[in-house]
Amino acid sequence: MENWKQNKAVFWVTALPGIVWLLLFFLIPLALIWGMSFGEKTSIIDIEITGTLNNYIRSFEAVYVKIIWKSIWISVISTAVCLAIAYPVAFGICFSPARWRPLLLLLVILPFWINLLIRTYALIAVFRTRGTLNFTLEWFWNLAFLDKLIGPFQPLELLYNNGAVIVGMVYVFMPFMVLPLYATIERLDRSYLEASLDLGASQWRTFFSVTVPLTLPGIVSGIILVFIPMLGMFLVPDLLGGTNAIMIGNVITDQFKAANDWPFGAALSFLLMYVTFAALALRAFIGARMKAGVGI
Amino acid sequence: MTYTPKFRASRRSVLKGSGAAFIGLTMMPRFAMSAEEKKLNFYNWDTYIGETTLADFNKASGIEVKMDLYADNAELFAKLKEGNPGYDVIIPTNDYVERMIAAGMLDQLDTSKIPNAANIADAFKDATFDPGRKHTVPYMWGTMGIGYRKSKVKDASSWKAVLDNSENAGRISLLGDGESVIGVTLQYLGHSFNSVDPAEMKAAEELLIKGKKDVKVYADDNGQDLLASGEVDLAMEWNGDVIQVMGEDDDLSYSVPKEGSLLWQDCVCIPKGAPHPENAHAFINYLLDADAGVHIADTIQYATANAAAKAKMDEKYTGNPGIFPPDEVIAKCESSLYSEEKTKLRNESWTRIQAA
Amino acid sequence: MARRKSTRGPLDYGKSPWLILFGLVTFILLYAPIAQLIAFSFNDSKRNIVWRGFTTKYYAKAWNDASLVEAFVNSMTIAVMCTVVATIIGTATALWLWRFRFPAKSAVEGVMVLPIVIPEICMGVAVLVLYSRVGNWMRGFETGPIHWWNELFSVWPLNLGAITAAHIAFSFPFVAVVVRARLAGFNREFEEASKDLGASEWQTFWNVVLPFMLPGVIAGALLSFTLSLDDFVITFFTAGPETNTFPVKVYSLVRRGVSPDINAASTVLIIITLVATIIAMRMQAPSKIEG
Repeated sequence: MENWKQNKAVFWVTALPGIVWLLLFFLIPLALIWGMSFGEKTSIIDIEITGTLNNYIRSFEAVYVKIIWKSIWISVISTAVCLAIAYPVAFGICFSPARWRPLLLLLVILPFWINLLIRTYALIAVFRTRGTLNFTLEWFWNLAFLDKLIGPFQPLELLYNNGAVIVGMVYVFMPFMVLPLYATIERLDRSYLEASLDLGASQWRTFFSVTVPLTLPGIVSGIILVFIPMLGMFLVPDLLGGTNAIMIGNVITDQFKAANDWPFGAALSFLLMYVTFAALALRAFIGARMKAGVGI
Repeated sequence: MTYTPKFRASRRSVLKGSGAAFIGLTMMPRFAMSAEEKKLNFYNWDTYIGETTLADFNKASGIEVKMDLYADNAELFAKLKEGNPGYDVIIPTNDYVERMIAAGMLDQLDTSKIPNAANIADAFKDATFDPGRKHTVPYMWGTMGIGYRKSKVKDASSWKAVLDNSENAGRISLLGDGESVIGVTLQYLGHSFNSVDPAEMKAAEELLIKGKKDVKVYADDNGQDLLASGEVDLAMEWNGDVIQVMGEDDDLSYSVPKEGSLLWQDCVCIPKGAPHPENAHAFINYLLDADAGVHIADTIQYATANAAAKAKMDEKYTGNPGIFPPDEVIAKCESSLYSEEKTKLRNESWTRIQAA
Repeated sequence: MARRKSTRGPLDYGKSPWLILFGLVTFILLYAPIAQLIAFSFNDSKRNIVWRGFTTKYYAKAWNDASLVEAFVNSMTIAVMCTVVATIIGTATALWLWRFRFPAKSAVEGVMVLPIVIPEICMGVAVLVLYSRVGNWMRGFETGPIHWWNELFSVWPLNLGAITAAHIAFSFPFVAVVVRARLAGFNREFEEASKDLGASEWQTFWNVVLPFMLPGVIAGALLSFTLSLDDFVITFFTAGPETNTFPVKVYSLVRRGVSPDINAASTVLIIITLVATIIAMRMQAPSKIEG
């Protein structure tokens, strides 16, 4: 890496656009909200910044801790499933004939140009009691004369539980996992794989000891891109989850809407950010110790 | 043109508390113009206006109405809280009207510009949440109740059917609006919808937690869809929504439980900082017109507060107990009263219920 | 079968039947809801539970819904503007972080990923607060440059600038992340070789670095287009009556159930973006050979 003093012109040309934009349209507004997290409501619409920590203290009430914990494990499982599906897909795309690749990549992204809400409702239409999946299963059931043997088809109750939330999350966030994976697997130096195979390692061994470590940056990027937005997600649990589907994103949204408690909403949002920051710092720390040059 | 000074005066309030425009973005009212451009921005609920009402109004006045939709009161409030991004007419529900008046977010109406206010039914000429009707005119009113599938449900005459009845397990949807759900639970337990008594609130919370295992989903205002698609057989919902799907499916019905329920009223108002207040008054006046009112009520199937319009409607509408419940039912119903404390307690309780 | 297997080299994963099967199943699962959505846009039923006959009337209905069309056009415009700017800024940022060593770098890196970390609603509210404060101040001017600025930015498509600016702010870090992951595998010696051979900084970038990172840039651009086109939460708080976008419009329409005309509009949206992307890919193909 170059010291910035060696090439100041290039340094500033590449640095300034991002810095300025982030400052104007992100950091300044965020600072306003951050201030709010130390504030109190003085009337229906006025908030006074008093420096109080009550909003943060309130975040540690058992009920919120429980919800945050639940959000974390739902997001962890969803991210893992996402990775397990996206990796082979990205791998397959990378090793497909070159002229197919852009098209396949496009096919992965295409569903995500449909509005999230419409997509989620489409999922509901597939999975609901009188939905396509149950109709299809019923058709097969009757086709196999099981209705005569066992009895009429009982529709599966697939929606409104945690499983549905996880499926929805995976469905919504898949491309965010596939794209960074594709970007790293694509530039994988295949001679390493050949070397490993030539030296007698099995395909699986090669995969886990060569391919995975070499594509680790993409895996990490993908996990970050997927896991963090999942943590704050509120539409999917809202629409697909059952009576205990509440996640921290829902609580935060409630504070900014129905509860009209912006200071508490701000505190919860920032708490979520502090947690993710701690995780990122931990990862950087471990990464540095493992000397794996992984960039986010 | 006598209007000009007032408009300029109200502009100051625009500057004080109004909406999104960084680098001149979004709506820029043209202050320089003395006469209003023939435009109106109307912020409304979905499926809550006659199919041709806006076009008819345009024909009558030359004003072009642009309608945006919001999904619930909280959303409307959140969007207008930091300042009005350019809406002229909004339709919040009574407790939010109260809240918005308290927050100084609504303009006073100039009644001299709304002669059709004479058409308002006597019962709605005044309101506790807006004494003297200074800021609002009533639009529609209704109840909350249980929509149910007749062939599958034995008895839906009590909140027990959805709150405390394992016979209907897995076939129930409640609203996602915690304030109302806790409110009717309190009514079921024999208390007031608006109670903030800790012991009563706790009892309601416990009952809702206990009943959770039987509830399939807390639906965001789409209970009628779940009902129509057969996903649930009982749905806590607003009357008009259920009546709209009842028209498509004879097996559905609606009941206001005997313990009483929530009585609500949606009101037409002008938010502070509205860029076209003159047009807004003309539009409000048009909504209160008898024929326009007939067309609206006919489309949306909610109970109109427009007496002149109701008089012209047929028996099928005026005699529908789902739309106009009998007096003894109304007598048991309560309006939601606004209080910051109630909002806070209810929301906390609702979070605990969902997390339990 | 056996012969086929033997012709497959150890690295021909593209021909592995398991991988193909896996990909196929994934694509089917991915597209089943979409297929259903498209089918329902032709279904002559408002409730969309069972098939009631073919119709195209919902396309006509969506087309005649002026506010839906306007929201649609706004969304596409914002997404295109956002993608162009976010890709440039994001790529620059990735290059910057990849290439230079400077004080407090890890802190800067942390700040750069903030837009990814922050809950959307919080950013939405933050932007709302900022815009309304600045807006209130700027509206105070009845003459002078700021007044003219205001007037200028009340005209389409510049009135979409506020939403676009916010979209760029949350999407360029995604571009930066993806491009940087790609750059991590770049062999620095190529760059040095290029410079040793007398190429200028710019020539080196254009002929060596850019072609290498192009897949990352394209992936990033696709991501930011997707993010912008699909964003509801942040747009909701920045949109006014003149600047509605498709997701905001859809959100307000579907909370009471998806009507077939929304399905129709979504189908059109898929087709437009598909065609536009294929054209863009075709146009870009020759330059790839050159590189």
